[in-house]
Amino acid sequence: MTAANAATAQDTFRVFGTTATLLVTEADALPAARRLADAEFAAVDLACSRFRADSELAALNAANGATVRISELFAELLGEALRAARLTDGAVDPTCGRALAELGYDRDFALVQARSAAAPAATPAASPAGPAPAVPEPADPAPASPAPGWRSVRLETGPLRASLAGGAQLDLGATAKARAADRCADAIARQLGCGVLVSLGGDIAVAGPAPAGGWRIRVTDDHAAGPDAAGQTVAITSGGLATSSTTVRAWARDGRRMHHIVDPATGEPARSCWRTVSVAAGTCTDANAASTAAIVRGAAAVAWLQRLSLPARLVRHDGSVEITAGWPHGPGHAPASPAPALGK
Amino acid sequence: MRADDAGAAMNARDDGLRRVSRLTWRIGAAGVVCSALIAAAFGHGAASSQVAARTGTTQHGQGTILIPAQPPAAAAGAGQVNSGAS
Repeated sequence: MTAANAATAQDTFRVFGTTATLLVTEADALPAARRLADAEFAAVDLACSRFRADSELAALNAANGATVRISELFAELLGEALRAARLTDGAVDPTCGRALAELGYDRDFALVQARSAAAPAATPAASPAGPAPAVPEPADPAPASPAPGWRSVRLETGPLRASLAGGAQLDLGATAKARAADRCADAIARQLGCGVLVSLGGDIAVAGPAPAGGWRIRVTDDHAAGPDAAGQTVAITSGGLATSSTTVRAWARDGRRMHHIVDPATGEPARSCWRTVSVAAGTCTDANAASTAAIVRGAAAVAWLQRLSLPARLVRHDGSVEITAGWPHGPGHAPASPAPALGK
Repeated sequence: MRADDAGAAMNARDDGLRRVSRLTWRIGAAGVVCSALIAAAFGHGAASSQVAARTGTTQHGQGTILIPAQPPAAAAGAGQVNSGAS
């Protein structure tokens, strides 16, 4: 635990296979905030980890279509995933679990990387600080199956129950992590009465009173890069900010480069014209849904984000940038222009 | 009033009460059936709403992605934290 500056205190730790950062406006509140965060993240992990045999998600995935009773927390996380799917027209879909497993993301990501390191070399990942390769995505994908689709998920109430049709397998990774950040920030601000920023692997939620000038966030490709990584610094005072990218959570499989953002329409890693998309929204959950959907939507994402009035920063593989809906200008930014709704 | 007249009146009253009772029961049954049909027709949306209500999920914004109260502002120097992929 360190004092981040005169106004805030900071704690950084590992959770969900990534880095969590907790910032609070009152240093005395930091230990209690950490306890609340630990409890919140443990509950979310037990509810919806894809890699824990004792999670509710694992039980539902193993139920072969049978109806399973679920907790209120899991119902909330599943409800948020279905809401994200509906609001993104299915670009973010919780039924990509089988596709991810078939692509090789079938265990904790550290183990996926270890297995990948022993495999033949694949197309290199884009460097967070430098130009990306000219052909950043797999050029010759093996046949894959589309995701069954979020409408194959049934969520019932009284009692809370869920079932999966059509062989669907859930992965709530994108939305659950962001929702955990929102829940954690809300709980800390409400119970401790201080301002708080919660970052889970770069998905950021803030709540309570912000420090003077707002929370300063460096928007970049890799959340683990240094404070001076290529990108842009912005400040927010409420809501959430999330970044999705094809450059970081990537691995090799059969000589091909894979990444974790699956296009539900194909069951393959999304072939996007964007390497990184950052979105600010009213919540971290919504920011995450929009940034992930923007990667999947490709060129059409600019007009989509403009229509929704969502401030966003979209980075192409060559490093050029477009911004939308009030995102502040930075070095090398081009004004937003409606893009043709063609290739991704 | 003769005993026969009193008995007839009581029978008529009982018959009326039975009719009212049957009518009440049928209206109740019809209500239950209609409720079931409505629940079946709108079950999916209702379920989502009920889950949201029970679990404290924010109700506003169910139909759209929430925009921020303010867009991000430009800031100088390094950030307190990075937003990037993990």
